[in-house]
Amino acid sequence: MKLYQIVVKDVTRRKKRMLYASLGVVIGVATIVAVLTIALAGETNIYGQLEKYGANLVVMPAISDIDVGLGGLSLGTLAVGENYISENELPRIRQIADGKIRTALNIEDEGDIATIAPRLYVNTEIRGTSVIIVGVEPQQERQLKTWWRIQEGEYLERAGQALVGAMAAELLELNVGDKIALNGREVTITGILEETGSNEDYQVFLHIKTAQEAFDKEGLVSSIDVRALCSACPTSDIAGSINGNIPGVRAVAVKQIAETEMGMMEKVSKFLLALAGITLAVGCFGVVNTMLTSVHERIRDIGIMRAVGASRNQIIKIFLYEAIIVGIVGGFLGYVVGTLLAYVVGPLIFEGVAVTYVPQYFLPSLALATFIAVVATVYPAFHASKIKIADSFRSL
Amino acid sequence: MLEIKNVSKTYGQGTAEVAALSNVSFRVDEGDFIAIMGPSGSGKSTLLNVIGGLDYPSSGEVILDGKRIDNLDENDFVDIRRNKIAYVFQQYHLLQSLTALENVMLPLTFCGLGEGEEKGLEILKEVGLGRRTEHKPGQLSGGEQQRVAIARALVSSPSLILADEPTGNMDRKTGKGILDLFVQLNREGHSIIMVTHDPEIAKHAGQTIVLQDGQIVNSIDQNGGKRNGD
Repeated sequence: MKLYQIVVKDVTRRKKRMLYASLGVVIGVATIVAVLTIALAGETNIYGQLEKYGANLVVMPAISDIDVGLGGLSLGTLAVGENYISENELPRIRQIADGKIRTALNIEDEGDIATIAPRLYVNTEIRGTSVIIVGVEPQQERQLKTWWRIQEGEYLERAGQALVGAMAAELLELNVGDKIALNGREVTITGILEETGSNEDYQVFLHIKTAQEAFDKEGLVSSIDVRALCSACPTSDIAGSINGNIPGVRAVAVKQIAETEMGMMEKVSKFLLALAGITLAVGCFGVVNTMLTSVHERIRDIGIMRAVGASRNQIIKIFLYEAIIVGIVGGFLGYVVGTLLAYVVGPLIFEGVAVTYVPQYFLPSLALATFIAVVATVYPAFHASKIKIADSFRSL
Repeated sequence: MLEIKNVSKTYGQGTAEVAALSNVSFRVDEGDFIAIMGPSGSGKSTLLNVIGGLDYPSSGEVILDGKRIDNLDENDFVDIRRNKIAYVFQQYHLLQSLTALENVMLPLTFCGLGEGEEKGLEILKEVGLGRRTEHKPGQLSGGEQQRVAIARALVSSPSLILADEPTGNMDRKTGKGILDLFVQLNREGHSIIMVTHDPEIAKHAGQTIVLQDGQIVNSIDQNGGKRNGD
């Protein structure tokens, strides 16, 4: 029989006490696992967005809205009138974007590189319901919206055609082949999109020329999406150059937005992690307490073991083995509870984030819990080893 | 083999000082069976604890096999508990989470001496518990538990067994069985010091030391009549 076997037999006899002892570790580890799991989910979400839109920048009219603020307080934005960008700016935007990418990636080719998709947004009514009409350049738009799938019919190609978002089609009871009048101009529905989960579902897409003609906006666009060749392309540079060279427009790289978001999230995560650390420290004291109680409960057993030949070090070892068991149990439960907590709380902290369990956190959870349990047991174990045998029997 | 010289033990300090043992001296030779008797609070258990190193004397010497052991530090005393002196308690003091056999093997575990299962089984058979080796203390009667405790004391082949009222918790019949076991062990050559209340039990010992208020008031040698504690 080995020393650890004595501990295992004793621990299995006092399961409840062991579970109680591990509670402090469970709470601490659970909080940390939950925070890290949620933070990772948030990060993955942002990276996912970056993957999808990372190469993009958006060009808007410079005064499409005005920030309303009082001192440093932002009170939101106020749209002022109808603002548009002239179509004439498109070649210059292309020139700047392609030029920057060529320099950055050392490309000699003279052809078009970036995807440049102008859009015209118009609010109108179809069959009495308010709908947003989006005029697009069909080929460029398609390159941009790689996630679009046609549910029915065909993709938009020519003037006079319309592509309808899934929800819009359902709400307005529109079918492929239907003809609808937009401000007096008749268009034919050629296709219906699959649901994407974004506001595109409620929009109706036309060829930009059709939209401009129908709503008397010839030569005007509301915004221009620019997609560079790659995520590593200098989109911030392009945005800066557009802002500097073309008056009346404002260009923002999606990457910049994502970086700001990421920074915010890191701050929140760090704060939560600090709280979790405090929880762990408190839990540690909990373990010290339960272990001291455990020592007191077992004063007699300690005396017996000492009387039949256990050395002080062996008594310390017995309690440290016990701590390891408490740590492993606590780490396991902490990982499980923390992951469940992340599933419940994660979506409340970062909206729309899908939390998934992180297997890589399992072993570190065990290690951390064991470390904490062992550290918390050093003093109680030392205390146990100091007990005088005669006193331990007298205390009964 | 064991010599107790002028051992005193006091508890407390100043006016609250209580003498549990004062100036106790006697000798134990190889193969002796000594009974220590006396009323409650006369210092019997304290004496046994001092001999076994469970407690330190305030003054005097305890000499085992020619070496002073009363001033040993804890770590050195561990060796003595592992090899030379073993205890049997009134309350049995078995670990509840272990089986009879595991309790017997416990001293070997602390010595780091392999499995020891065969030796444990053999000794359990010797004390008459060959059929109840896998039972836990809670499933054994008082007499059986004390047999396990005796087996545990024997497993490390000690030269001296200290027994503190080993039959104190038992009815007469069970106590007789345990006493017979001690007598048999003594015949096999084990030296035994036993604290007891029962004069009947003391009759089986070779020598009886009577304590009162921490002093030896009488020493009876069953073989050679009275002798004074020297």
